[in-house]
Amino acid sequence: MKILSIFISPLLALTIGLLFLGISRKITARIHWRYGPPVIQPLIDVIRSFSQKSISHGPFFDFGIILSLTSSIVLIFFLPIGNFYAMTSGGLIAFLYLMLLGPFGIALSSAASGNPNSSIGVSRKFLLALAYEVPLLLVLLAVMTHFNTISLVEIVNIQASTGMAFCSWALILPGVAYFLILPAILGVRPFEIVSAPQEISSGPVAEFGGKHLAFYTLQHALQLFVGLALFVDIFLGGGTLFGLLNPIAGTVWALILGVIIFLIKMLIVLIIGLFINAVFPRFRIEQAMQYLWKWPTLIAFIGLVIVVLIN
Amino acid sequence: MTYAVSKKGNINMELLKQKLLSGFNGLDIQLRDDQRMFISTEKESILSLLSYLKNEGYEHLALISCNDWINQEKFELVYILSAYMADDNHYQEKEKRSIILKTNISRKVAKFMTITNIFNSAEPYERELHEMFGIIFEGHPRLTPLMLEREYEVPPFRKDFDSQNYVDNTFGKIPSIAERKEGTK
Amino acid sequence: MDRNQIRKWLKNLGKMANKYSFHVVYFCTGCGIIEIPPSITTRWDAERFGIIPVATPRQANLFLITGYVSTKTLKAIIRTYEQMPEPKYTVAFGSCPINGGMYYDSYNTITSLDKYIPVDGYIAGCMPRPEAVFIGVTHLWKLIDMDKADGYKRYREDYTLYRANQEQLFGELGWPPLFQNEKYKYSNSQQTI
Repeated sequence: MKILSIFISPLLALTIGLLFLGISRKITARIHWRYGPPVIQPLIDVIRSFSQKSISHGPFFDFGIILSLTSSIVLIFFLPIGNFYAMTSGGLIAFLYLMLLGPFGIALSSAASGNPNSSIGVSRKFLLALAYEVPLLLVLLAVMTHFNTISLVEIVNIQASTGMAFCSWALILPGVAYFLILPAILGVRPFEIVSAPQEISSGPVAEFGGKHLAFYTLQHALQLFVGLALFVDIFLGGGTLFGLLNPIAGTVWALILGVIIFLIKMLIVLIIGLFINAVFPRFRIEQAMQYLWKWPTLIAFIGLVIVVLIN
Repeated sequence: MTYAVSKKGNINMELLKQKLLSGFNGLDIQLRDDQRMFISTEKESILSLLSYLKNEGYEHLALISCNDWINQEKFELVYILSAYMADDNHYQEKEKRSIILKTNISRKVAKFMTITNIFNSAEPYERELHEMFGIIFEGHPRLTPLMLEREYEVPPFRKDFDSQNYVDNTFGKIPSIAERKEGTK
Repeated sequence: MDRNQIRKWLKNLGKMANKYSFHVVYFCTGCGIIEIPPSITTRWDAERFGIIPVATPRQANLFLITGYVSTKTLKAIIRTYEQMPEPKYTVAFGSCPINGGMYYDSYNTITSLDKYIPVDGYIAGCMPRPEAVFIGVTHLWKLIDMDKADGYKRYREDYTLYRANQEQLFGELGWPPLFQNEKYKYSNSQQTI
């Protein structure tokens, strides 16, 4: 079971991540009243990037992007997708540590490339990470206090019996706070500050071409997957459906249905985020920091107080 | 620092015309539609005329241009001024007044005084005239080419610059890749 | 459009991916830049074909030269073209890169772009409409299928000749040669016309 998970989880995450990138381009195009590319377009882009000769700026340039992609794949192991989970120890704490290794790898590559646009992009990336980490930590602290555990698998299993955490009185406010900072974690508008093509020539990835660009697209797809999957796991009871699947637990059908329910929940969250993405312009970095340190932090803090008082 | 712009000033072009005719000699002034004044003058009195008009409120140097009268062997420099009217809140764009000054300088020895002491914004206009017509402005702080990168024997905007000849001699002489291949093979 | 024929994909993965994912360098030469935003926005949607503009030449594989090319722009075009990773394709818009167009006797614009960088195809017009742009892209697909869109290979093989042309126009170039090969030797005394 674990061996199966170790093989299936990253593949599933990569495919679904690329598919979600394609779905987001298609839905954004339909909102703009045009047709849009086919849903597998990011896969074609990745194949084309692999077939191009890449230009290297030194050993750290190659190493950084590989570090970033590897850390994203390792992060997938800690995430329960339906009933597939590979690592049960560590839970949310290990998750938080590994989430910052992806941007760190890209920052290493960008610094090695020597482009001034890349350095502006990297500074924006770290400022944005600093801005959304504060409400994120408060939300996760509230969740860990409420469920009394740090393991994601147990959080999902508890929600199977007691219903979705988003609908419970204790965790509605942290849920709302997490939903408000979700665009910043995913890097969609209005928080598309890091890779702003018109302002800073694509930011940190200004010098990526060929294979490096292919790895970056895969890492971007994985980051999208991880951001959505964490929300679905913690607040929407990913993989379980109000305890309806308990009778058939342990069979192959339960596995497959669990994954399908997980993906449908992720799709719903993605589509709601896309409706905001398609019509908003971009914030400036200081506006984003002011917003992220004001309202979501406040809501998450009140949520944390309520959770501590209830328990 | 505001000069005497405004309503009581020289909105009335007739008044300005009388003042100029009484103050300077050798001017030839025409008024058209009460909005544009054309002044033709000798080149020696340009600087004093420009300072006087700037004091009267015409602080905006809109353009310096040049016409090449090759048959009469002279360059005709054209200075266009207008007033900002910063004090007047009800100033409409269609009421804009402009003054157009024209002088002649010789074509063979194309030299003139710079007006950057009076109007600082004349610097790029005079650089452009220098690289396109070959007029040297004495006293200009930086008379380097503004837009072009190549050297031309005859400055490009003069009427005796043969552009087709120039294109044939520079861009036309460069062979295509197939021709170069045959040549080296 | 054979994007949904799986058998062709399995036969020749790299070629099909190169065809259906054109990332255009958003380099705005001349007059034709006014025709690019209508092509990529809602009314004549170019994203259906997989065409999307990107901000840097390192991520791109299609270079559109839209309009006249002055000598200053030509330096920037050569530097941008040399930064793109291979395989790359160049398409020239309008009649100015073909033979000088409206500016055939100008003191500052070049008359034929093919002498300085290799051009795979031309789209005639002054400026071409967005429908002409799409027809040009489908012709480029056919050329890629037949292996005739080999501008980048020609640039690599004949690099000394291209560089000789560039140096004859500009005098001294500020950047070192991109490829070092000695296939065609040339000397400045051989003017081949």
